[in-house]
Formats: sequence, structure tokens, C-alpha cells
Amino acid sequence: MFHPFDKNTQTTNPRQAWMALLSRAPQHMLDHALRHHIGFKPHWLRRPETGLMMVQGRVGGSGERFNLGEVTVTRCALHVSDAAIDKPVGVSYVLGRNHHQAQLAAMADALLQDPEHYEMFDEELLKPLRQHLQAVQAARYERAQTTKVDFMTVARETTRDDEEDEA
Amino acid sequence: MTEHELQHIAAGFTHEAFGSQAVFRTVMDALSHPGRPLVVPIQCELPHKGQPAAAVILLSLLDADTRLWLSPTLVSSDAEQWLRFHTGCIIVKDISEAHFVWVALGDNLPALSSLRPGSDAYPDQSATCIIETLTLQADIAGWILNGPGIPKQRLLQVTGLAPHFTHAWQNNHASFPRGVDVLLTTPTHLVGLPRTTHLENSPEA
Repeated sequence: MFHPFDKNTQTTNPRQAWMALLSRAPQHMLDHALRHHIGFKPHWLRRPETGLMMVQGRVGGSGERFNLGEVTVTRCALHVSDAAIDKPVGVSYVLGRNHHQAQLAAMADALLQDPEHYEMFDEELLKPLRQHLQAVQAARYERAQTTKVDFMTVARETTRDDEEDEA
Repeated sequence: MTEHELQHIAAGFTHEAFGSQAVFRTVMDALSHPGRPLVVPIQCELPHKGQPAAAVILLSLLDADTRLWLSPTLVSSDAEQWLRFHTGCIIVKDISEAHFVWVALGDNLPALSSLRPGSDAYPDQSATCIIETLTLQADIAGWILNGPGIPKQRLLQVTGLAPHFTHAWQNNHASFPRGVDVLLTTPTHLVGLPRTTHLENSPEA
């Protein structure tokens, strides 16, 4: 299903929302939030692996689907603890080839599923992350705005010319 | 796949490349020496259902383009989820569509003639059938095998396999170049039976 995750659509599943955030989290923010879990040795279900994914787009956001191009994606899946097989599994898909970043994102996903850690990570990671992504988006929007052309002036001038002709 | 199911999935090969290559090499050896039991190198966590040797063979042979048929014991088991997670294979219900067939110990053996036989032009498009057995012992009367890869003849005793297998195999052998290849497994060992192998019950058995 198509989810424009840049828009603030209400998803019913909170995990879906935080995984969208984690997949775009810069490494320094993940490093900071997970600084107490740095020594932890992951129990891998799927080691970080890098591959290609086809990105599809739609003209104007709603037209026919077309293949935009391939992107490099790194994914992994892990358990947070060696002993507990029934503990939550953290999964991550991140853009690029940074295996460490994928590992951190998966760790954060696993810890967020644990009610014990959710509060802390929501405060320390998800909130700043939301702000960061909003700031990035706002900056990009602003930059795009400076290139916007207003054609109204041309239209008005033409109209005025017409009026003068009539007069 | 739900979050809950994911929690119970075992990890794959400890070292993906080396683990799967070692198993692949063993399968090649088994098919070039039909009837010779070989130890399967198992270097991974395993699902509860299904024999370890059969599971790792599939783990190394399957990928996202292959279609797998599972016998009733294995359908919807942790073995199915484990293979789907690690290999991305497609599970099919119709046995005639499958590239690989996994028959668990105790499940009815599907008719070999119902599997993909390949065509005369493309005999490689046939199915490979992995059948679990109780024991596989070489040099004990049971079956007499001969054909490519076997000097003179080889004896093999198989327990835990339906008795009508011999007859089904003879039909399969007769349809060469079409036909399926079979891998017989115990929890630790593997015997390859390529379609070129001639098989008959030993007189005293």
C-alpha cells in the first residue's frame, strides 16, 4: 500500500510511525540516544546486508506509477538480548550502505517495542527526531519557495493593456 | 508476517557465504556419487519442525525466484516462516508448480509423477524433491543402485520411506531426460538420487 510518510498521515500502528522516523534518522542522533547500549552484542536474525530497491513514483503524487530508479538500501534484523528468544525483534531498512546505522536503527526499534524503554526513547530519540526532520523539511521548503515564479504580474499587465486599448 | 511470528524465527547461517557454500558443495557431491551418505555441515540455528539436514539444504538452495511445496506437517510451521524470512522463497499449494518439494518424515509421499518433470528441451526445469527418512546406511542390502557416478553397483538401506517409492522411482528413471531428482535425508546425512540412477530392491530384502 502507498503511504506518503513525509505527510503527517495518521497511522493506526505506532510502530509504523517510528520505523519511518528511524529509517531517516541521522547516525549521530541514534548514537546519542543509544549511548547506554553501546557495548551490547546483538543476536542477529539477519546481519546487515546492502542491496538495491526500485523506487516508484507517481506523477503529481496521484498519477500512474512509474519506476524512478534504484536506491541502495541496507537492512537487518536482530534480537536485543542473547538469552531471550521471545523478546521483540528489531528490524530496520535505511538508505545507503552504512551497516552501523542500520544496526542502531534496528536496536532502537527493538527497544521501542519494549514497554520498559518506550517512554525514555520516545523522549530522547523520537521527539528530537521529529523536530529535526521537520526542520530539514522546512528548510528545503523555504529554499524551494525562493525559486517560485509568480505569473500574476504578467497576466495583470496584459489585462491593463487590453483595458487601455478599449479606452 | 506479524511481529509475533518474527519473534520465534531462528537465525540463519552463522556465516552466510561459507555456510551455504559448504552445504551446496555437499549436495553437489551427493548428486555426483548417488547412494553415498554424506554428512551435511549444519552451521545455523534451526526451526523445530523438519529435519536439520533437509532444512539447511533448502536454506542454501532457495532464493526469491524459487517455488517451494511443503508436506502437511511443515505447512504453516516455524520451518516455513524460517525459510520464507531467510530466502524469500514462494510457497505454493499446487505441487506441480513447485521447483522444490520438502516431504517431512511420516507424511505421505506425493506421487513423483505429479511433480514438474521438465521438458525434453529443458530437463533442468524439473523439480527437486527432498524426502526425510529414518536411516540411510550404505553397503547394507536394501536397494541396489547403479548408473553414472557408481562403479559397478552400490548398496543402500533406507528405512522410513514408503515401499512404493522403488516403483515410482523406476518410472521416474525411465522418463529420462525428464524426471525429478531426489535428495534423501536423515537429521544429519544426505543421499543424492539423480534421475540417472537405476534402482531395484535387492533379492534378499
